Amino acid sequence: MDNQIMDLLFNLLGILFLPFFCSLIIVFSGQIRNTVAPFFSLLSGLGSLFLTFLLIKEFSEPIRFSWDWIALGVHKFYIGFFIDSVGLTMLAMIAIVAFAITIFSIAYMSKDDSKGRFFAGLSFFLFSMIGIIFADNLIMIFLFWELVGFSSYLLIGHYFRRDDAKDASQKAFIVNRVGDYGFLIGIILTYWHFGTTNLEALAILIGADVSLISSGIGFFLICGFIGKSAQFPLHVWLPDAMAGPTPVSALIHAATMVAAGIYLLIRVQFMLSFEVMSFISYLGTFVALFAGFCAFAQSDIKRVLAYSTLSQLGYMSAIFGLGFPGIALFHLITHAFFKALLFLGAGSVIHACHHEQCIFKMGGLLKRMPITSLTFIIGTLALCGVYGLSGFYSKDAILIGAHDANNLVFYGLVFAALLTSGYMGRLIWIVFFGSPNSQAAKNAKEVNIIMYLPLVVLSFFAIFVGFTNLWPAQLGATILFDLDYLHHLVNYKVLHNKVLILGSGAWILGLTMAFLFYGRGTKFDQLEKQLPHIYSLLKRRLWVDELYAVYLDKVQKPIAESFSFLDEMVLRGFIVRGCAGLIGIIGASLRLLQVGRLDNYVIWFFIGLIAFWLYGLNMF
Amino acid sequence: MVLIGINEFIYVASILFLIGLLGVLLRRNTIVIFMSIELMLNAINLALVAFSRFNNSMDGSIFVFFIMTVAAAEVALGLAIIVMLYRQRQTILVNELKQLNG
Repeated sequence: MDNQIMDLLFNLLGILFLPFFCSLIIVFSGQIRNTVAPFFSLLSGLGSLFLTFLLIKEFSEPIRFSWDWIALGVHKFYIGFFIDSVGLTMLAMIAIVAFAITIFSIAYMSKDDSKGRFFAGLSFFLFSMIGIIFADNLIMIFLFWELVGFSSYLLIGHYFRRDDAKDASQKAFIVNRVGDYGFLIGIILTYWHFGTTNLEALAILIGADVSLISSGIGFFLICGFIGKSAQFPLHVWLPDAMAGPTPVSALIHAATMVAAGIYLLIRVQFMLSFEVMSFISYLGTFVALFAGFCAFAQSDIKRVLAYSTLSQLGYMSAIFGLGFPGIALFHLITHAFFKALLFLGAGSVIHACHHEQCIFKMGGLLKRMPITSLTFIIGTLALCGVYGLSGFYSKDAILIGAHDANNLVFYGLVFAALLTSGYMGRLIWIVFFGSPNSQAAKNAKEVNIIMYLPLVVLSFFAIFVGFTNLWPAQLGATILFDLDYLHHLVNYKVLHNKVLILGSGAWILGLTMAFLFYGRGTKFDQLEKQLPHIYSLLKRRLWVDELYAVYLDKVQKPIAESFSFLDEMVLRGFIVRGCAGLIGIIGASLRLLQVGRLDNYVIWFFIGLIAFWLYGLNMF
Repeated sequence: MVLIGINEFIYVASILFLIGLLGVLLRRNTIVIFMSIELMLNAINLALVAFSRFNNSMDGSIFVFFIMTVAAAEVALGLAIIVMLYRQRQTILVNELKQLNG
C-alpha cells in the first residue's frame, strides 16, 4: 500500500517537474541551447504523456498529498496536490495538446534563432499550468496562476524586437495583474473568513453551512477568472497576444491558459453565490456575442481565431453560471482540441505564406495545401457544431442546459453560434477557396510532415473527443454527471430536437451567408465596403481599448505623475538630496579649518579649552 | 618680611604656564615647542606641590612624582620622534610640516 502511494507521488511529481527540469536544462545548456531545445522538449512532452496515461490507468479515487509550507505564527500554509476527475481530464487534455503543439513547434520554429528561449518558455508554461491543475489550495493556485501569466508574458514577447509583440506582452501582463489583484484580495478574504484556503476544507465548511457563501468573496475570486480567461472588460489583452508565435497562441491563448479561468471557476464553484453565478452567466453570454461581432472586423487570421476563443470562453462561462460546471468543462476540452487545431492550421498557413497573416492576401489555399486546409475545415466545422463532430456534443449540451435554465442566455448563445459560423465561414471562404490574392499565397506549398502530423492527430481528436463513452472511465465524471442530468430532463427529446434544429440551422445559415456575402477568395472586406460605419464600430471593438487609453491618460497618469513629483522632487530632491547637501556643506566648511598647521590647532585647542572653562562657569 | 602664601606660588605657576603656552603657540622649532610643553608641565607640578603643602597632604606631591616620571618617558619618546622627523624631512620647523593639510 505504502509503495503504491509512493509510486503515485513520484508519478505526480514527474508530471509536474518534467517540464520544469526540461526548461532548466535548456536554459543552462549555454551555446548549444538552440540545438538541444527541441529534443528535450519532445522528450519531456513524451514523458509527460506517458506519465499521464499511467496516472489515468492507476486513478480510482481523488488523490491527496499535503505538506507544510510556511508557518507565520499561528497562520500555517500548506502546499499540496489534489487531483480528482476534473483535474485529471484537464491534465489529459493538456498533455495531448501540448505534445502535438511541441511537435508542430519544432518545424514551425526551425528557422528561429532563439529556439532555446521559446522551448524553455513553453516547458516552463506547462510546469506552471500543471501546477494549477494539481494545486489543492487557493494560495498554491495563485502561485502557479502568476507563473502561467509570467510564462505567457515571456512567450508573447518572443519576437521582442517587434514593437507590437513587446507592447502586447506587457499589455497581457498588466491587464492580468488587474484581475489577479482582485483574485488575491478574494483569497485573502477567503482565508480571513474561513481560516483555510484548502479547496476541500472550504467545500466541507460551506457544505455544512450554506449561509457562509458570500457574494463579495465570490466577486473578488472571479476577478482572476475574468483576467485570465479574458472576459469583458479585461478581454483586451487576448487579441493583442496574437503577436506571439502561433504555437504559443495555440497552446496558451486557446487551449490551456485561458481555460484555466474556467477551471478555477469549477474549483471554487461551491463558494459562488447565486448572484455571482448569474453574473458569470450573463457576462459569458455578452462576451460570446460581443467577441463574435468583433471577429467580423478582423483581417488577421490569428485575431479572428482569438475573438473566436473569447466567444467560446463566453460559452463556457455562460453555461457554468447556469450551474453546469461539467458541461463547461466538456466544452473546454472539446474547444481545446479544435481550437488548438485551428491555430496550428493558421500557423501552417502563415508559415507557407511566408508570415503573411492578412486573410485578404491569401485565397485558394485548398489546392495548394490540401492537408492543412482539410484539417482546418474539420476544426471549423467542429467549432461551428456540425453534427457528429466534437463541438456539436458540447455545444448541444450547452444549448440544452441554457434552454433549461435561462431563455435569455439560450437565445443569446444560439445567436452567438450563428455569429461563430458566420465569421469562421468568412475565414474559410476567403482563405481556402477562390484564387490566390498575393504572390506569397500563389507560391504556398503544403508544409512538411512534422507540421501536418499534429494537425491530423488533433483533427482526429476534434472529431472524436465529443464521444464521452469512448473516454477512459476515470475521466469526466463531472461531465457525465451533468450530461446525465440533461438526458433525464422530462422534455429532453423535444429540447434536443429544438436545439439540433436551431444549432444546425445556425451553422448552415452562417456558412451560407458568409459564402454569399463574402464570396470565394475575395481581396477586400465586403463589410468594410458596404457597411463602413458598422465595420469601423466593430473594428474599434466598442472603444474599450480607447476607453482604457483615455482613463490611463487622463486619470491614472496625472496621479502617477503627482506621485512621481512627490518622489522625485520632495522625497529625492528635497529630503534625501537636501540632507546629503547639508552634510556636504558642513563638511566642506569644516575642511577649511583643517589647515595642517600645528600652531593653528593649538589655538583651536586653547579656544576650546576656554570655551569649556566658560561653560563650566555657567557663562552660557 | 614678605610672607609667601599660596597666591604667590599660583602666580608663578600661572606665569610659567603662560610662557609655555605662548612658546607652543608662537615658536616654530619643534624642540622649542617641546621644551615649552615641558615648561607647562612643570608649572602644573609647581602648583600641585604648592597645593599639597598648603593642604598638609602628600597627595599632590605623590602625583608630581608620577608626572615627572611620565614626563621623562615622554621626553625620550618625543625626542626620538623629532630625530626621526629630521631624518625623514630634513627639517623640524612646524610651518614646513603641513602634509596633513585637509
